[in-house]
Amino acid sequence: MSGIIVAENLCKVYRRGREEISALKNVNFQVDEGEFVSIIGPSGSGKTALLNVLGCLDTPTSGTLRLNGTETSGMKESELVRLRRQNIGFVFQQFYLMPTLTARENIELPLLFSRKTDNKKRIDEVLQMVGLSDRGDHLPGQLSGGEMQRVAIGRALINDPKIILADEPTGNLDSVTSGKIYELFRKLNDQGRTLVVVTHNLELARQAHKMYTLRDGRIAGCEEMDY
Amino acid sequence: MNFLTLAAKNLLRRRGRTLLTVLGVAIAITVLFSLLSLNSGYQKELNKEVNSLGVHILAVPKGCPYEAASLVIHGGVIPKYLTATDLDNVRSIEGIELAVPMLMHQFIRKDNKTGQDVPHIIFGIKIDEERELKPWWTVEGRYFTDNETRVMLVGRGLADKENLTVGSKIPSGPFKDFAIVGILNRTGDQDDQFHFVPLTEAQRVFNKEGKITTIAVKVRDVSQISRISAEMERIPDIQVVTMTQIMGTIMNLAGSARSLLLTVIAIALIISAFGIINTLLMSVNERTREFGVMKAIGASGLDIGKMVLAETVFITFSGGVIGTIAAVVGSRVIEGFVRGMLPYSPRGTMVSLSPELIGFALVFSIALGIVCGIYPAFKSSRLTPMEAIRSGLE
Repeated sequence: MSGIIVAENLCKVYRRGREEISALKNVNFQVDEGEFVSIIGPSGSGKTALLNVLGCLDTPTSGTLRLNGTETSGMKESELVRLRRQNIGFVFQQFYLMPTLTARENIELPLLFSRKTDNKKRIDEVLQMVGLSDRGDHLPGQLSGGEMQRVAIGRALINDPKIILADEPTGNLDSVTSGKIYELFRKLNDQGRTLVVVTHNLELARQAHKMYTLRDGRIAGCEEMDY
Repeated sequence: MNFLTLAAKNLLRRRGRTLLTVLGVAIAITVLFSLLSLNSGYQKELNKEVNSLGVHILAVPKGCPYEAASLVIHGGVIPKYLTATDLDNVRSIEGIELAVPMLMHQFIRKDNKTGQDVPHIIFGIKIDEERELKPWWTVEGRYFTDNETRVMLVGRGLADKENLTVGSKIPSGPFKDFAIVGILNRTGDQDDQFHFVPLTEAQRVFNKEGKITTIAVKVRDVSQISRISAEMERIPDIQVVTMTQIMGTIMNLAGSARSLLLTVIAIALIISAFGIINTLLMSVNERTREFGVMKAIGASGLDIGKMVLAETVFITFSGGVIGTIAAVVGSRVIEGFVRGMLPYSPRGTMVSLSPELIGFALVFSIALGIVCGIYPAFKSSRLTPMEAIRSGLE
């Protein structure tokens, strides 16, 4: 299988005043197309930093990243925007929904940025996919945590990306709701999407094909799961 | 959904702040719109008022000619007088079509309705010459003749105000028992408010036999106005004012007052603009993380900038619409305020509303939005997604 995400010798150094913090140290990482990968590790191990670099939200200090065959180093912000739009869907721990937009409008938002119009059918499809067909006209404030995360997943899916990157997607949810979100992830993976999920929850992390462990900015281990 | 609905929904999140900003813009646009509409209306009304006199040159006693001319237009007492000799001298000048003598005087009489003492203006006139000067005059009843005594014409506005009818008599004051033989049909100018009696009667009542306050001159050829006024100035006692001079002077005085008002408005607009920029910057700073998320889900810097700009234009355009409506609806109040600030105001309505002006106010409000929104839009568009998300978390 070909690597849809291929990272080589990734380093990320943050500067805070005079202090330098190495969040990633020579990370070599590959995710094949259609794979479901979990990343675990203690706080400060570099999980989120890695996910952000993989999603082109942040640039590596050194090293290379190839996404769906495209080398990302040296790309302009506008090119990265296009690459993100076409290939990546993001899911965040805090959902980050727009409070004044309904569930349907939140899901529609990426289409507005992609200049795609007349999307009613596609939005209905996605609402159905995330199990919120009857909640489309509700504002985020009227939805439960699990429902809000489903809206966020719908938003990540609307442009039909090949890769879904999720940063602690169940961090704010109870165990039952978390289980349901993972069921949804597995369903998306069954449809052929590549998923990379950062989590603290070992039990849920074990539901992926592979589980990487990060420690002090380095890959400390990789375990193949019985998917 | 499009960028405009997204911008509108974002603004509704901070209703109070948005409303206050919109009101700030609305006030600035109201003042701007009012001033511009007054500017065009002012000159139009002033022209109309001066033309309604039907004269090209006024001869008044030596003194302040502009004050005297203004009194002639609006009514008032000129404390100096010209004589029949002055009138003959004026009439002897070549090129004059008409030289009409008038004695203008103020008098006090009780109001028919309220019983209070009210100042009134009366003109002693030569009726045939006056009618030649003002061919648009028509009358209900009849005109008096120059030889009649104890007869009077009144303007329609005055008659309506005081319930005066043809055949009734003036109940009090120095003209007590003068019979109203005619009521001038509405002219739309100051004549609607005046009393008119034969010149000799006015001179008799005020003990000013042989005296007049004004000679209104109509020339045969307007290109000769400067020559004729120069010749008139050679007559002792007479000061000459041409209508062009009156208008020029008034427009100069009004121009200074307007410059002052414009400066105040410019300052108000600048303050308003900084208010908008400040509100937007606050809003941009508060939403840094949100912009980061938008970038993560596919928005470009240009998209974010466009959204912020759309929000600004939304605010200023709403302010523009509200401000323009307020200016149209409240034009009377604003006119009253401006009248108090200008050295001379015509009697007619000074607010002249035109579709072009409304268009200008709205385009101006959009331009204001673009100017105010550029910096916040630029600032928000430059954020990298991770910086934005992280700064929002701190």
